[in-house]
Amino acid sequence: MNINEKEDIAADWQWEINATQSWFKLGLRDLYAYRGLIMRFVRRDLIASYQQTIIGPVWMFLQPLLTTLIYLIVFGTFAKVSTDGVPKILFYLSGTIIWTFFFDNISGTMYTFISNAHIFNKVYFPRLIVPVSNIITQSVRLSIQLLLFVIIFLFYHIVYDKFQLSYTVILIPFLILLTAAFALGSGLLISVFTARYRDVDTFFQYILRLGMFVTPVVFPSSIVPEKYQFLFWLNPLTPIIETFRAIFFNQGAIQYNYLLLAIFNTTVLLILGLILFKRRETEVMDII
Amino acid sequence: MSNLILKAENISKHYRLGVIGSGSFKEDIQNFWKNTFSAGGNKTTNIEPKANDLWALKDIDFEIMKGDVVGFVGKNGAGKSTLLKVLSRITLPTTGTIRGKGRIASLLEVGTGFHAELTGRENIFLNGQILGMQKREIISKFDEIVAFSGIERFLDTPVKRYSSGMYVRLAFAIAAHLDPEILIVDEVLAVGDAEFQKKCLGKMKQVSAEEGKTVLFVSHNSQALKNLCTKAIYLEKGRLIDIGNTQDVITNYLKREQTLYLHRIYTDPDTAPGNDSIRIKRVEMHPQYLGGSNVIDIRTPLVIEFEFWYLPAEEMDLGVSITLNTVMGECIFDVDSAARQYKKGLIKGQCTIPGDFLNNGSYSINLVFVKNTSSALFEFEECLSFDVEDFRENTAWYGDWPGAVRPKFKVQLQQEEI
Repeated sequence: MNINEKEDIAADWQWEINATQSWFKLGLRDLYAYRGLIMRFVRRDLIASYQQTIIGPVWMFLQPLLTTLIYLIVFGTFAKVSTDGVPKILFYLSGTIIWTFFFDNISGTMYTFISNAHIFNKVYFPRLIVPVSNIITQSVRLSIQLLLFVIIFLFYHIVYDKFQLSYTVILIPFLILLTAAFALGSGLLISVFTARYRDVDTFFQYILRLGMFVTPVVFPSSIVPEKYQFLFWLNPLTPIIETFRAIFFNQGAIQYNYLLLAIFNTTVLLILGLILFKRRETEVMDII
Repeated sequence: MSNLILKAENISKHYRLGVIGSGSFKEDIQNFWKNTFSAGGNKTTNIEPKANDLWALKDIDFEIMKGDVVGFVGKNGAGKSTLLKVLSRITLPTTGTIRGKGRIASLLEVGTGFHAELTGRENIFLNGQILGMQKREIISKFDEIVAFSGIERFLDTPVKRYSSGMYVRLAFAIAAHLDPEILIVDEVLAVGDAEFQKKCLGKMKQVSAEEGKTVLFVSHNSQALKNLCTKAIYLEKGRLIDIGNTQDVITNYLKREQTLYLHRIYTDPDTAPGNDSIRIKRVEMHPQYLGGSNVIDIRTPLVIEFEFWYLPAEEMDLGVSITLNTVMGECIFDVDSAARQYKKGLIKGQCTIPGDFLNNGSYSINLVFVKNTSSALFEFEECLSFDVEDFRENTAWYGDWPGAVRPKFKVQLQQEEI
């Protein structure tokens, strides 16, 4: 074989497997190439989660309603936590819908390797499509739950003639995206560690449980003491939920500065998460 | 245009064994830092050999041409599966590069990603897409897949209600309709019933022969490998021992791996196995290899020869029986010599196990010296052990041949009426 021929062959190769994976490769192009599989996973998760249930997808409505009911009894009636004058149902519902969306996204993402080890050990596909499909699944649920929220909101709006809808409502999709990005970024970072040490898993379960109480889910951020306000608003979920409530309940001005900070933090977290995840996705399989 | 479709250079895979836990935390942090933040390059230079280190693969090089059907052989733990995992991108090589052309699909298990709650129909799409098929591709092959699996009636039943046979059939039917340029298959011959196995092997043969696809597969079934593969790669302890023509590589493999104890020879009667009456001089097996091969297969006649010093304290009738046991301890046969009196001294015995009698498997031989046809003077257990390999011609069926023995009695058929 002469040298020219060799060069021809070298140019022919279509893929390469190497010992090291390059930095700065987020694998986002893969997501498009594998969009079919992503949607298949979404379909699987949506169908499977309501198999052998009696009321099926009605649970999507019932879950936030039941949670709201519990908060209403515990925090609204027993503990008498302020809701800043917002009807309690709407207040808790808005908090719980967003918090649950975040929670399901992050806990789905942080166990990516552990819960899919059996598949990852047998077939290659970009691992990122698993958390991404989870986020899409949760977004479908969220949309249905938001519909419920809007129905109740319209009820208050029409019957009690409360709240004015402003143009800021266009921010809602953006708030959802931000929540998903925050959950994905932190979940990806954690997932690499939960695969290695099961302690991390237990630790983060406590962190998440705590998380609900440093986020304005069952109380408004106005009841947080002044000196902790900055710390409290550093949590990206605080400006997200507060903005959501400001839009619907016309409560004070939207805190754009904190929202921008949240965008910045989330972007950094997401990029770090994507890089680390992509870099470690294959090596993790040797230790799981 | 070259026909080279895959080229592996200098592939090694290193595993750190031992318990992962608090003891290794510090090391983990160091390794993690090194692995994650070291700027590219060759990581292995930093890995120092340790007692609990394992090189599952070491310096593997090979090239595969388009249309090759390559069989990987080797004992358990030889690194076959690790190599397939590296080729499938499930795990990264520690060193080396693999380059290839075209779509690669791996089938390391049937039914990967099946969801028990979903119907057969849903799972065809799910599994197909996980294995790398496109949705429209599955739609166009859907009827074929269903027909191949033979589960039409249960298409809309959740797969958790399937019998294990149906499950495997459906899973394999999907896999059989994969259409990559390179297909990687691990041990799938071990599943499914005989008829279905045949169907699958036929399909694999068709894929490689007619459609020019490249297939890489691992199997313990040397017979299937011989019949399907154009090329074989023999791994031992993570190293590539032999590559080339299937027949040669498999013969080489069987020769090296056969657990042979064909000769027991003792020169000193005082230390030789035995007791006051019997001392073994030698027990040997001389396989009458056929056609220049040196592998015992089911056709090979086996001549057993033994000599022993006979030192009786009293007069008795002596008989020797030879028993053949499978590796599981089942006795296949027990043959004995006529009992009669012998004089003190050296006695020689011989027995031939004809070819076309034993089934394939692992066997051992016991010699039992019997006094007056009733009590054992001495038992020389497992004095010889050997493997009998399978051999088949003109067949498309590679499943286990049933039966304790495999004699070649004539079975005659004749047309009586038209």
